[in-house]
Amino acid sequence: MELLEYGFMQRALLASLMVGLAAPAVGVFLVQRRLSLLGDGLGHVALTGVAVGVLTSRAPVGTALVAAVIGAVLIELVRARGRTSGDVALAVLFYGGIAGGVVLLSLAPRGQATNLDAYLFGAITTTTASDVAVFAVITVVVLGVVWLLGSRLYAVSDDEEYARAVGLPVLPLNTVLAALVASTVVLSMRVVGLLLISALMILPAAVAQLVGRSFRATLYLACAIGVVVSVAGTAASYYTGTPSGGTIVLLAIALFLVVTVAVALRDATARRRHGRRVDVHTAHPHEHGEGCGHQPVPHGDHVDYDHDGHLHAPHRTGTGVHYDEHAIGRERT
Amino acid sequence: MTDTALRLAGATIGYGDVAIVRDADLVVRPGEAVAVLGSNGSGKTTLSRGLLGLATVLGGTVEVLGAPVGRLRERGRVGYVPQRHTVSGAMPATVREVVGVGRLPRLGLFGRPGARDRAAVAEAVDAVGLADRLEDPVASLSGGQQRRVLVARALAAEPELLVMDEPTAGVDAASQAALATVLARVSAAGTTLLVVTHETGPLSGVLTRAVVVDSGRLTYDGPLGDVGPGAGPDCHHPDEAAAPPVRGYRLDQPRPAPDAARARGSR
Repeated sequence: MELLEYGFMQRALLASLMVGLAAPAVGVFLVQRRLSLLGDGLGHVALTGVAVGVLTSRAPVGTALVAAVIGAVLIELVRARGRTSGDVALAVLFYGGIAGGVVLLSLAPRGQATNLDAYLFGAITTTTASDVAVFAVITVVVLGVVWLLGSRLYAVSDDEEYARAVGLPVLPLNTVLAALVASTVVLSMRVVGLLLISALMILPAAVAQLVGRSFRATLYLACAIGVVVSVAGTAASYYTGTPSGGTIVLLAIALFLVVTVAVALRDATARRRHGRRVDVHTAHPHEHGEGCGHQPVPHGDHVDYDHDGHLHAPHRTGTGVHYDEHAIGRERT
Repeated sequence: MTDTALRLAGATIGYGDVAIVRDADLVVRPGEAVAVLGSNGSGKTTLSRGLLGLATVLGGTVEVLGAPVGRLRERGRVGYVPQRHTVSGAMPATVREVVGVGRLPRLGLFGRPGARDRAAVAEAVDAVGLADRLEDPVASLSGGQQRRVLVARALAAEPELLVMDEPTAGVDAASQAALATVLARVSAAGTTLLVVTHETGPLSGVLTRAVVVDSGRLTYDGPLGDVGPGAGPDCHHPDEAAAPPVRGYRLDQPRPAPDAARARGSR
């Protein structure tokens, strides 16, 4: 393939592969925690780090990583401390981050290439070989921590109060998650850009949760979706000449819309098919089961319950259990 | 095992520096099944949250399983069922995954669940009557079943003390019956129960002792059966519910020793 002949494209595709894998692996926990925009905020903070790198002639990836991780830890400490001022404190940190970045970058000496757009929206041609090496380390660390602490991160993201009550280390785990987000932001900055990185964390998780049944399956599916849209979007941007970040995000949104419609159609079809059967209780207020007070009646492969003279067959659907009416002494309708 | 499951002495509990429960004295022995009754806003939930480290102990002593609440190392010995109507979060999760969280406190920081842990999770789910739903998404369960999942999550840790906040509120009859059965079994196995509730009816066969909280004070401590109708107040009408209990003893008067109260608790 033509695009693989260029060194910069090889590096960009490698970077997009790693981003596509790592961003959703962190994003599912953010969605669970209802903190979807944390990545966005840390992207703002990372911009100040980039500017510091440019001004001091260091690799911007390194300084951005330091700034984003410091920002992540600060955010968790602010959240853990006060409740009332936490929201405002976050806003100050986020906007301070992007304002600081813009102002510092404008101070950079003339002639030094400081393409703000490349950092904000991603530019595939800017990925250097040493960037790829750093990204590989970040990816391994992020995926390793998720593998090691995933069930704890899930517990804290799902029900923080319970986690606190049973003695899980809530603040350290939240800080670890925020640091993972910060690392992923930096990892994504070349390919997706600091303003769009949040999309690659959240959208694959949003697609996956439409079809997933378990958290684990949803996590894996989100990572798979992330890799596909990230690599495909990067490759597409080579041919269309569009910024890689925007291309990837539009692809992810398109997938989100397609899956949303497909799931809605599937559910509607299932409902319609089911509705043809006679006497269906869609919203049965009483839940039949062992010891529910109704006489269980074995009926072929299942158990019906005698409900005031007619038989109710518990019947599992995608959204819950409901009850078909089964006639006494007759075969299943 | 310590000789008290809970010991509150002059305990003041609240949030920030606002005291909600004041000057509470309470001793619960291992194996007791205690109802904490009171109207909305009486402080009964704050009392339970103080035992879990979720509310601040502002004064006095609060000991849980023999250790001051802030210094209890193995918090996994305390099970907690929060007052929550659904389990389903933003992401899908199966019953097994949610209940598996309950096992984490037993695993340390990096431990991975072994055969013993998986068995404990399966047993806990079986105990609440949802064994056939183990691999189903929690979002597909009814409200009452989701509450039972939260109970199973607490049971998976095999706790010595189980604190529950309104486990029966808004739950259908089948789930209430299942809940009463599992609590009776857990109680018979020696687990201490502390159930915050405004209705003792569904669990009256399990709970033996009642504590009534009114405006942040403990106003009654005695057998559940002796609580008057006014002391198990209807949460929808907190203003009408403040009537004092008709029998039992008031805590501001001389009272029998806790052992005597327990003996009366028909255990």
